[in-house]
Amino acid sequence: MSAPILVTTTADPTGAASSGRPARTLATTVASQAFLVVLTIAFLAPVVWAILSAFKPAHEIVADPLGFSPGDATLENFTRMFADVPIGQGFLNTTIVLVLKGTLTLVFAPLAGYAFAKYEFPLKNLLFGTVLITLMLPTIVLIIPLLLEMKTLGWVNTYQALILPGAIDAFAIFWMRQVIAAVPDELLDAARVDGCSEIGIFARIIVPVIRPALAGLGVLTVMNIYNDFVWPVVVASSERMATLQVVLSTLAQNITGNRIGADYATVTGELLAAASIALVPLLVIFVLLQRHFINGILAGSVKG
Amino acid sequence: MTLITAPHPTRVASPPPRRQTSRSSLRRRAAPYFFIAPFLVLFAAFAVYPMLFTLRLSFTNWRGSGAAEWVGLGNYTYLIGNEAFWASLGNSATLWLLIVPVQLALALVVAVLLDNAKLRLRGFYRVAFLVPFVTPLVAVAQIWVVVFDQDYGAVNSLLNAVGLPDVGWLTTSQWAKPTLALLFLWKTTGFIVIILLSGLQSIDRSVYEAASIDGASPARQLWSITVPLVRRTLMFSLVLQTLAVFQMFAEPFVVTDGGPYSSTTTAGLYLYDHITRADLGTGAANSFLLVIVVMALSLFFVRLLRTED
Repeated sequence: MSAPILVTTTADPTGAASSGRPARTLATTVASQAFLVVLTIAFLAPVVWAILSAFKPAHEIVADPLGFSPGDATLENFTRMFADVPIGQGFLNTTIVLVLKGTLTLVFAPLAGYAFAKYEFPLKNLLFGTVLITLMLPTIVLIIPLLLEMKTLGWVNTYQALILPGAIDAFAIFWMRQVIAAVPDELLDAARVDGCSEIGIFARIIVPVIRPALAGLGVLTVMNIYNDFVWPVVVASSERMATLQVVLSTLAQNITGNRIGADYATVTGELLAAASIALVPLLVIFVLLQRHFINGILAGSVKG
Repeated sequence: MTLITAPHPTRVASPPPRRQTSRSSLRRRAAPYFFIAPFLVLFAAFAVYPMLFTLRLSFTNWRGSGAAEWVGLGNYTYLIGNEAFWASLGNSATLWLLIVPVQLALALVVAVLLDNAKLRLRGFYRVAFLVPFVTPLVAVAQIWVVVFDQDYGAVNSLLNAVGLPDVGWLTTSQWAKPTLALLFLWKTTGFIVIILLSGLQSIDRSVYEAASIDGASPARQLWSITVPLVRRTLMFSLVLQTLAVFQMFAEPFVVTDGGPYSSTTTAGLYLYDHITRADLGTGAANSFLLVIVVMALSLFFVRLLRTED
């Protein structure tokens, strides 16, 4: 985790980062370290608490939320949760959607971004303006017409309904356009002179140059799809099609239904078990890929 | 290459790059359509069509079945005269105030600290601050419900342990918004830190050297050098988070369901209410009013930060 992750893609020799900084006294160094430590604890505490509590006997989560002795550790929350909700099916559905929808996004967004950044064609600005407007539309706005569309197509409770509507991501297009616009035209012209086809330019010049941003987009896309909640709840509510987030939200509804005593404790225990299981894979993916993600965003966002 | 002709022998060495044969220029003109076609098909079917559908819906009183009656601007005038609509915007605006200024300031300070190459555990901090961002939202929202529970929650246990009384984090209207804001801050600040870091890395370090020699304090340098130089990145974050706060839906939906006493009925949640009550025409009008508000705010921020040049 503490591997050096600063491999900047901007023109910034790492050495310069230290030399030019304001001279720090020992006091400011200590103060800033302390500040970061406190903040880190605050940022990690809820997740650590949830994972640890998932292993506590359900009644203790409620009776003594802060206490925990490893001797108490039990898997009862997990076994009960597995019996109550289709979390395995949820994982399977989420994985299928993740792979297919993620692939579509990672192919279509850079291609469209390339067209927007490097070509002139009629109605280009109008089209890009439309992309920006959809960026400003709350997701729930499109839910009614989309749901009606899915009903007409007979796609309710199908994978294509979970995959296709979100495969065009306005933010991804916007991001890719910004990144590709920064690739010098001379590079593309030189390739053309050498007889490279237009798609060849995309594959052999654009893609390698924007690889860090593409990796960042990949991680961000995985996060977004994994976290998607509103649309799956609406369009894929059957147990067979429920994604992980939908399974989680069903459990959550049980909590509000059982505010009293033992039931509340049981459902809370199950919920923390499910939440832990849902967040661990994403956390692992992130820790493995964080270098690409961080560098991707560093490479891709708007420069100061 | 066929265009290079004898009267200009000097050009042979460097062929004019912009000139193409007619065949390749045709290909070049056709290319963008080819690249944009898959996007265009999906975008037209699943974004533009629903958007136009919603726009048309906003001028009718359709309730999900039966015939739709054209009501002109009726839905819009109804909403503009409706207290609950303004209350939902007010709730979102309050959340914006509780979240965005705090988040930008906090993220900037953290980003500046993490930008220091001499900082110990720098890689660890970067990952740690992003952990909430990669935690599934529904899981986070549920953890919030459990941790901030008035009777059984860990936060109140902590308060009791140091001799403080219980707080009705999610059950009183004065605390529900700050608790929700805390959730949002916790979830997304790490992402903003990384975005601001990208801005910081493009700053020429010698500027700080010069300022240090002139005796400027670190705080002064932050305000007078860093902030102006990362202005565009700050603006980007500001617009991004303004969009996110005004569209906030899943957090209040899962954590408070808009309560208590509608104190966390955000603009997004109020909009959803129309959908659940099958009042689709009003819902559609509500969404376009929301888009206008968000657009106006975004443009205002863009202007504001531009005129500081």
